[in-house]
Amino acid sequence: MTLNLCVLTPNRIVWDSEVKEIILSTNSGQIGVLPNHASIATAVDIGILRIRLNNQWLTMALMGSFARIGNNEITILVNDAEKGSDIDPQEAQQALEIAEANLRKAEGKRQTIEENLALRRARTRVEAINAIL
Amino acid sequence: MAMAALRREGRRFAPLISPRPITAVRSSPIVPTHEYEGPIGVRHISTQVVRNRMKSVKNIQKITKAMKMVAASKLRAVQTKAENSRGLWQPFTALLGDLPSVDVKKNVVVTISSDKGLCGGINSTSVKISKGIYKLNSGPEKETKYVILGEKAKAQLIRDSKKDIELIITELQKNPLSYTQVSVLADEILKNVEYDALRIVFNKFHSVVSFVPTVSTVLSPEIVERESESGGKLGELDSYEVEGGETKGEILQNLAEFQFSCVMFNAVLENACSEQGARMSAMDSSSRNAGDMLDRLTLTYNRTRQASITTELIEIISGASALEG
Repeated sequence: MTLNLCVLTPNRIVWDSEVKEIILSTNSGQIGVLPNHASIATAVDIGILRIRLNNQWLTMALMGSFARIGNNEITILVNDAEKGSDIDPQEAQQALEIAEANLRKAEGKRQTIEENLALRRARTRVEAINAIL
Repeated sequence: MAMAALRREGRRFAPLISPRPITAVRSSPIVPTHEYEGPIGVRHISTQVVRNRMKSVKNIQKITKAMKMVAASKLRAVQTKAENSRGLWQPFTALLGDLPSVDVKKNVVVTISSDKGLCGGINSTSVKISKGIYKLNSGPEKETKYVILGEKAKAQLIRDSKKDIELIITELQKNPLSYTQVSVLADEILKNVEYDALRIVFNKFHSVVSFVPTVSTVLSPEIVERESESGGKLGELDSYEVEGGETKGEILQNLAEFQFSCVMFNAVLENACSEQGARMSAMDSSSRNAGDMLDRLTLTYNRTRQASITTELIEIISGASALEG
């Protein structure tokens, strides 16, 4: 029994095939999904999606949105997604540092929130690379 | 302008016209023939005029051919984007359903059209359908408002529905279309407009020759709750446990907003494709018409040229025979 996973962004389909298990992070914590899971619709946070294919784990950095799980079909709609293998470690590390610096400089509530989001995105990307190793 | 000048010249020569117009008008082979009324009332246009006309028609044909090729290349660029974005709203329809027949109090019609013209009839069909929806949904306690994207729909709807227009957004295609841009737009619309149901009217791109006007319906979260409780297609929504967040209502709100921006993104891309496709076929038919016109003008030109040669010959021969006899 396998799950059919579909990860879609507005610009392209990132993933569309069968997997054994996934772990995704929602607003209220991480959930693991195995075949024959109950039907749920949930909001996905900015974080890492782990996919298991034949005892090998793959990571993907997701930038938030929705997931629908039902009948062994998982559909995840995100604003942006990047496969862990596609992220350049150097560049992700630099982006993280820049985001941290911006957060310290941010003034005003709105800028703080924006920089916070940017920081979380950068951190997710760095974690996605580290998690494979 | 050339015709008016010729008419003036014709008036000047009118007193000279006699029952035998051939001898009355002398012309040399270099100067083009002047206008004159023949015995049977046939007007002969000078070859200069026909040649000018042919030159301008040929230029127009070149321009329309170029526009067709430009539209074809733009179409290729947008088409891949549109196809990729199609997969995005299908899960929403599977989950929440697309119910055009839902009965709500506040309708908002979002009409998507192009900014530039010369693209066939797609903008008129979108406006016609928007007006149709407006009529369908008018009645006691119900109100319908318009949100307009694009100059062409604005021009048409501002004339008779000015008081019902909430927002007008133009010059969408200045920068290449991206999801972030459309989601900001969707945000603006959601903030400023109260709605129970949003109906997005656009032209769906099926192929280069077929653009079908379509309406996508996005419901507000309260209506989704109401419909899911009453059963029917949305009744399945209840069977889903909703997680992640404080309350179910908050999630549904986020979901509805996300659905709106996804559907809008797809609609805008599809409309852009349809616009380029319609422009291609419009420019193609005008090039063909210009070609036909050119053929007809060539025939007229040849006839005029031969008529003037015949006139020359007849003059010379009759002059020669007058000298002999």
